Amino acid sequence: MSDSVSRRKFLSRATLAVGGVILAGWAIPAIAYVLGPARASERLREWRPLGSPAKVDVGTPTLFKTRIERTSGWVTQEDEVSLYVFTEDGQNFTGLSNICTHLGCRVRWVGDEETFFCPCHNATFAKDGRVTSGPPPRPLDTFDVKVEDGQLFVNVEV
Amino acid sequence: MADRVTGPIDPESGAEPPPTSWLDERTGSRGIYEAIFLRNIPKVNWLFTLGSATLFVVVNQFITGILLTVYYVPSVQDAYDTVTYIDSSLPFGWLVRGLHHWGSTALVVLVILHMLRIIFHGAYKYPREVTWLTGVVLLLLTFAFGFTGYLLPWDQKAYWATTVGTRILDVVPFFGDWLLRVARGGEELSAVTLSRFFGIHVWILPALMLLLLTVHLFLVVRIGISAPPKRND
Repeated sequence: MSDSVSRRKFLSRATLAVGGVILAGWAIPAIAYVLGPARASERLREWRPLGSPAKVDVGTPTLFKTRIERTSGWVTQEDEVSLYVFTEDGQNFTGLSNICTHLGCRVRWVGDEETFFCPCHNATFAKDGRVTSGPPPRPLDTFDVKVEDGQLFVNVEV
Repeated sequence: MADRVTGPIDPESGAEPPPTSWLDERTGSRGIYEAIFLRNIPKVNWLFTLGSATLFVVVNQFITGILLTVYYVPSVQDAYDTVTYIDSSLPFGWLVRGLHHWGSTALVVLVILHMLRIIFHGAYKYPREVTWLTGVVLLLLTFAFGFTGYLLPWDQKAYWATTVGTRILDVVPFFGDWLLRVARGGEELSAVTLSRFFGIHVWILPALMLLLLTVHLFLVVRIGISAPPKRND
């Protein structure tokens, strides 16, 4: 056997190399294509108008609803986001989710008792979302709310 | 070629097993490899690569086609949206669909050139008639692939091309009307047509193609290829 590479050996190696490149040309895009939707994509956040801040009674949480479009894959569906907005001074607003942190039931504001009440397991939350009784593991989720140009806006994931 | 040990190793001689012997001993892989890749062929030219080129594109169609079905949904509500999703939202989706789309066109061109080479060289003659006949059916399968695949994006072009294409069946005497209804799965192009074309395109045609391709390639290897004809042949 000589040290120099024979024609046969060269050609068979070249064929293998080209074949490997072609194989990678299929395999790499294929893996990215199949795994693509699994990437943790950054969810976009958006300020959505809720209406006039005058609708919020000072000292009383008021329920607001807004519709957003959520896209997963090629399917776009409308979701409703509802939240309680509340203010003590008519200047600074807080947004509280009306979804109970226990099992996801809807809580409602009971004005007489100054409390959020969840009918599923009789849980109660204070005006600022703290758990006051019942099984919920954490306070109600909050939304960022702002007033701009005389409009109330909420920051939601879309 | 160096001598190589075949079969079980003789314990008395203590011969070193060749590197591929484990697999070869159990599968005969060496012999298969040699039969396919180290067979003798006559002196040929580049036109003789058209069959291999066709095979390469067929492999490409299978790979990219399987990948497309990962996301494609053959319903009238989803077909167009899923194709758009593949094209614009998935990493390399445009490449996968592009390879399948252009591969189909390349395949039609290649099988025709491959067939012309066989005709001009008279390579369909004895003893290669069965290879030729399977090739003819493979050509028809390729056209069927192209026709059924054209509908699947479910856009305007797909819809009207298939409307016109299926209507050709209507001119067949006596039972043309029936053939048209069979092709469309009803009077008009509908969700049924889309679903049927999808099923034919991804299950029936590939199964038939794999079967015939296996026979076709087996015969090419078994009989060997013909030399280009000489002046006084």
